[in-house]
Amino acid sequence: MNRAELTFEQPRGLFASVPPEIERGSRDQVRLLVTTPRGHVHARFADLPRFLSAGDLLVVNESAMLPASLSALGPSGPFTLNLSTRYAADLWLAEPRWDPARPGPMPIHPGDEALVAGMTVRFVAAYPGIPRLWFVRPDGPLEAILDREGSPIHYGYVPKVWPLEAYQSLFSRVPGSAEMPSAARPITPEIRRDLEDAGIRFAGIVLHSGVSSLEIEADTVERQAVYPEPFEVAEATARLVNRTRARGHRVLAVGTTVVRALESAWTPEGLRARQGFTRLFVHPGTSVRAVDGLLTGFHDPVTSHLAMLASLLGLPRVMEAYREAVANGYRWHEFGDSHLILRT
Amino acid sequence: MTVFRRVALITGASRGLGYTLAEFLARQGWALIVTARDDGALRAARERLQVTGALIDAVQGDVTDDRHRRALVEVAKRLGRLDLLVNNASELGASPLPPLGEYPLDVLRRVLEVNVVAPLALIQSCLPLLKASRGLVVNISSDAARGGYPGWGAYGCSKAALDLASKTLANELREAGVGVVAVDPGDLRTNMQQDAYPGQDISDRPLPEVTLPFWAWLEGQDPIRITGQRFEAQAAVWEVPV
Repeated sequence: MNRAELTFEQPRGLFASVPPEIERGSRDQVRLLVTTPRGHVHARFADLPRFLSAGDLLVVNESAMLPASLSALGPSGPFTLNLSTRYAADLWLAEPRWDPARPGPMPIHPGDEALVAGMTVRFVAAYPGIPRLWFVRPDGPLEAILDREGSPIHYGYVPKVWPLEAYQSLFSRVPGSAEMPSAARPITPEIRRDLEDAGIRFAGIVLHSGVSSLEIEADTVERQAVYPEPFEVAEATARLVNRTRARGHRVLAVGTTVVRALESAWTPEGLRARQGFTRLFVHPGTSVRAVDGLLTGFHDPVTSHLAMLASLLGLPRVMEAYREAVANGYRWHEFGDSHLILRT
Repeated sequence: MTVFRRVALITGASRGLGYTLAEFLARQGWALIVTARDDGALRAARERLQVTGALIDAVQGDVTDDRHRRALVEVAKRLGRLDLLVNNASELGASPLPPLGEYPLDVLRRVLEVNVVAPLALIQSCLPLLKASRGLVVNISSDAARGGYPGWGAYGCSKAALDLASKTLANELREAGVGVVAVDPGDLRTNMQQDAYPGQDISDRPLPEVTLPFWAWLEGQDPIRITGQRFEAQAAVWEVPV
C-alpha cells in the first residue's frame, strides 16, 4: 500500500481540544458515525446499543494513563521529555521534544545527559528507524517521580493541560500508557449499563500505549518501522472471545490498541492467553482474525491507525467514511467523536 | 575489589551484532568483558566502547582455546560478578556454502567446536559467577537451526545443537537461579551474512541496530521467568510465558 492512499483533507477546525463533559456536560455527548459494508449512519454515542446485538462482546483496554510528560534540562536548554514505554526499571523509550507543540528530532547524541526532577537521564541510543525516539537511562526510578513531576502528555492542539482524570476511562485499571487509549472514553456507567441490559458483554486486555506515531514516512506503508508496546491478554478474556465467536456473535475491539493486542494473541486454534511486547502492525497486507468490528475515534492522515482501519473494511470504504466525517463536521482526537466500524 | 553494578561478557564483540549489543550496554553503564579473534578489530572496538565512559576489558583470543576462556573468567572474577553471558562468536564454515553431501569434515568439526563446544565450555567456567549473580546466558542462534536451507546444513546443525543445549541447560539451572535463552537475531547486514553470500548485494538486510529494542526488552525480564525460551529479535511479538 502506497502512503499517498492514506491521505485526506483534514480541516484543523475539526480538532477537539476540550473534553465533552466540560463543553456539554457529559462524556457521552459526542457523535457516533457507524460504518458497515452497506454504508454510513449518523448517530449519537448514546445510541451505541442499537448497533450491537445480544451476545456481542466489547473488548476494552484496561491500561491507565501515566502523567508521562516531564520537564527536562539539557545542554541546549529546557525541553520536554515524554516517556513512551518502560522497558526495564532503568530503561525507557522516550520522545524528547522542544516543547509540547514542537516535536523533535532534537540535536541529541548518544551519551548526552539531561536533568529531570533532580535525576540524571542519559540518552543511550536512538530507536532504529525512528530517530525522534530515544532509549534513555535514568539514574533512579522514574516511576516514583511521575505523580509529583509529570503531567499528561498533550500536544499543540490542546492549549490547556487537563487533569489526569480526563484521560482515564471507566475501564482504566493498570497504569502504564503514555497516551490515552481513548476509544472507551465516552462510555459512561449509564451506557455500560444500557449495553449490559441489552445482553452485550465486556472483557479486558491491557496494552500500554506509547507516544502517538506520526505520519508514516516510508513510501510503502508496510515498510514503516513501528515500535513495540507491552500487552497482556488474560486467560479469561481469551476464553470469552473464543466462546463469543463459536456462538456466532461478534467480537468488537474498543480501540486500535485492542485490535493490536488481540491479533497478537491469535493462533490457528483461536485466541490464547499471551503477554509480552508486540510490534504487530495490522495493515491491509495482514489478515484480521480476532475481531469483527472496532469502536474508535478519528485518526490523522497517513497513520498506521488508518492502515489498520483499511484492513477491517477495505480502504475505499474507510476513505468514504472519512469524507463523510469531514463533510459533517465530526471532531478528531481523544476528546472528539466516535466511529463504529462493523465488518458485517 | 570493586563490585560493579552489572557485568556482561560478550564473545565476538569486535563488530556486527556483538559490537552493537556491547555499545548499547556500555552506554547504560554496564562493565563489559569483550573478546574477539581479530586483534586490530578488537582494539578499535575497545577504543570506541571506552568513549562511553564504561569499564571495558578487551581480551583477544579464540573461544575454542581453553586458556583464553580461563583468562576471560579471571577478568569476570576480578570484576566480582557476571550478570550476562552472550555467546555470540560463531563460525559460518566454508564460504560459499557447500551442500552437506560434499561438506569438508574438518570444517564441520571446527563449526561444531566454535558454535557448540566453546559456548558450553564458557558457560561451565562461568557457572559459579552466574549463580552468584543470578545471571542470564544468551546463546545466539539462527533461523538456519530450523530451516533446512540448502548450504546452511553445517551451520544450521551447530545452531540446532546450541538451541537444544540452551533448553536443557535452562531446565538444569532453573533451581540455581540462572536463566538460559536462545536468540535468533534474524537476517542482518553483517560480515557473516556477506561471507554466506560472497559477492552478492546484502544491503536489503537491516543493520544490527534493528535488534536494540529486543535487547532493551530482554534487560527488563526476570531471567527465570523467560528461561528456556527461544526468541526472534525481529519477530512481531516477544512473549513472556504466562
